[in-house]
Amino acid sequence: MTVCTRCIMDTTDPDISFDAAGVCNHCHRYEEVARQRIIPAGQRQERLAQLVAEVKRAGEGKPYDCVIGVSGGVDSTYVAWVVKDLGLRPLAVHLDNGWNSELAVANIEKTLNKLGIDLYTHVIDWEEFQNLQISFLKASTPDGEVPTDHAIFALLYKIAAKQGLKHVITGTNVISEAILPEKWGYGYFDWSYVKDVHRRFGSARLSTYPHFSLLHLFYYVFLRRIRMVSVLNFIDYNKNQAMDILKNELGWVYYGGKHYESIYTRFYQAYLLPRKFDIDKRKAHYSNLVLSGQMTRPDALDAMKAPVYPANLLEEDRQYVIKKLNLDGQQFEEIMSLPRKTFLDYKNNRNVFAFAKRLVNSSRRLIG
Amino acid sequence: MLKTRVIPALLLRGAGLVKTTAFKSPVYVGDPINAIRIFNEKEVDELVLLDIAASRTGRGPAFSTIESIASECFMPVAYGGGISSVEQVRRILGLGVEKVVINAAALADPQIVRATADEFGSQAIVVSIDVKRKLLGRYEVYGDSGTRSTGHEPAAYARMMADLGAGEILLTAIDRDGTMKGYDIELVSKVASAVSIPVIASGGAGTIADFGVASKHGGAAAVAAGAMFVFHGPHRAVLITYPSHAELSAVLS
Ligand SMILES: [Zn+2]
Repeated sequence: MTVCTRCIMDTTDPDISFDAAGVCNHCHRYEEVARQRIIPAGQRQERLAQLVAEVKRAGEGKPYDCVIGVSGGVDSTYVAWVVKDLGLRPLAVHLDNGWNSELAVANIEKTLNKLGIDLYTHVIDWEEFQNLQISFLKASTPDGEVPTDHAIFALLYKIAAKQGLKHVITGTNVISEAILPEKWGYGYFDWSYVKDVHRRFGSARLSTYPHFSLLHLFYYVFLRRIRMVSVLNFIDYNKNQAMDILKNELGWVYYGGKHYESIYTRFYQAYLLPRKFDIDKRKAHYSNLVLSGQMTRPDALDAMKAPVYPANLLEEDRQYVIKKLNLDGQQFEEIMSLPRKTFLDYKNNRNVFAFAKRLVNSSRRLIG
Repeated sequence: MLKTRVIPALLLRGAGLVKTTAFKSPVYVGDPINAIRIFNEKEVDELVLLDIAASRTGRGPAFSTIESIASECFMPVAYGGGISSVEQVRRILGLGVEKVVINAAALADPQIVRATADEFGSQAIVVSIDVKRKLLGRYEVYGDSGTRSTGHEPAAYARMMADLGAGEILLTAIDRDGTMKGYDIELVSKVASAVSIPVIASGGAGTIADFGVASKHGGAAAVAAGAMFVFHGPHRAVLITYPSHAELSAVLS
């Protein structure tokens, strides 16, 4: 196994490549993305003030001026705090996919109450979503969280359109999310991929599941002019500092690893990915922190030696997931032993998205 | 533990949880297993689970659903919905449920209360009484999910149930259900003062202060709440909540 000399990504990513100095493609991409999307320090104040003025103008006379997503996790909670600090009037949107931990709902409740933010929740019909999640498990791709991520974005666009708002302020950020091998997390924008996986492996009709086709996306982005704004790229986003603010000011509670506010995410990242795909997402997460200067490389390598999650709790999660998905132990083992696939084994719109991305990159103002 | 129990009342319809308003317009609020796990961690004293379709559809209790829910609960559970025989009560109590809630069967034949109390003990038998407020402030017990008038006066009916051996009365004000406008304290007080067994006030809880009122002025031994624990804010957004012990003891001690 070869490890990048700058970050801690390695050849468990099948598509990784290294330059002569042993620096990986992710490091190069990080620099490029950071240059494009993180607002340079000298311009932040001004750009942020412009953004705030634009959001306020677009929301004039409406009960809210922007939409934010809330999950109880650090990024989205910090966005809620930042947005209120900037004097905006957000409507918070939450997708309930049936896997909320108590910590997640308690964090959401505290945040909304302390900051005085209204909430809209969409609860996906559990029988439907259960069936879709099993479809993705059977599809044997390492991106089993695509059904959740797709629904979140669909919901954010839908509510923004319904409320007549132009801005969805998201917690996606370069600092902690720029590095992610494509095959580990492709496709949350790609309904044709979700649909094809479910057509092959699922049986339930997806009638309450929020989704959006390319046509919908075109409608939201170009006709309704709804912008996804990654506000954390406008500020000096330091995770540890952010968590301290949230703990002290909101009574927010940390839940462990990245996105462990959802029990399924915890199970997926800590149990399923390492076992079935030899993927440890901490590598991407820590690499991001290393490249953004929030963690040293030796510390990251050291942190990787700790288990992803305590073994007894992993076993508890495994049993709960099997029960909740209404599988039995044998069915679950059969799914675990199915041969690995990637999104390329299914119908997808990757080429269209690659084209759209180039288009968007040349006119960045539409997507932020 | 507080002297007044504070009980989330969850409504089951098919495999999902719903919340009604005045016994109508059910809104889907999610998967019961996940909701119960959250309530477990919030250290809820007790839970009431009512299957609102079991009697109406005539299919009776969904035993496998009850079992999977009961096995997930850390706290005592009272189950109601579609129970019509002593045999069913035996089976349900055997699934790890602590109490059964009887409503339609007691209206049809009050002797089921005596028969089940004799066999399983009064502590396991809760009789649920749904009440409508009529003109001139008169109250009447309603059957079939609030659709059928029974002619019973609530306090007298509750007394009869207590005499037959019911261990508790779950008293629901139909028109307050899901409104979060506060309990019908007059109703609670009428029934609570007529019986010596505990009365659980239900229908209308919207704030923690409502619990205090039901306990102090209504004489309720316990309070149940649905909408308040599953909805948040003006959009009635689904978000499971339960007050902290400190918040509760401030109004209930
Ligand atoms: Zn690298």
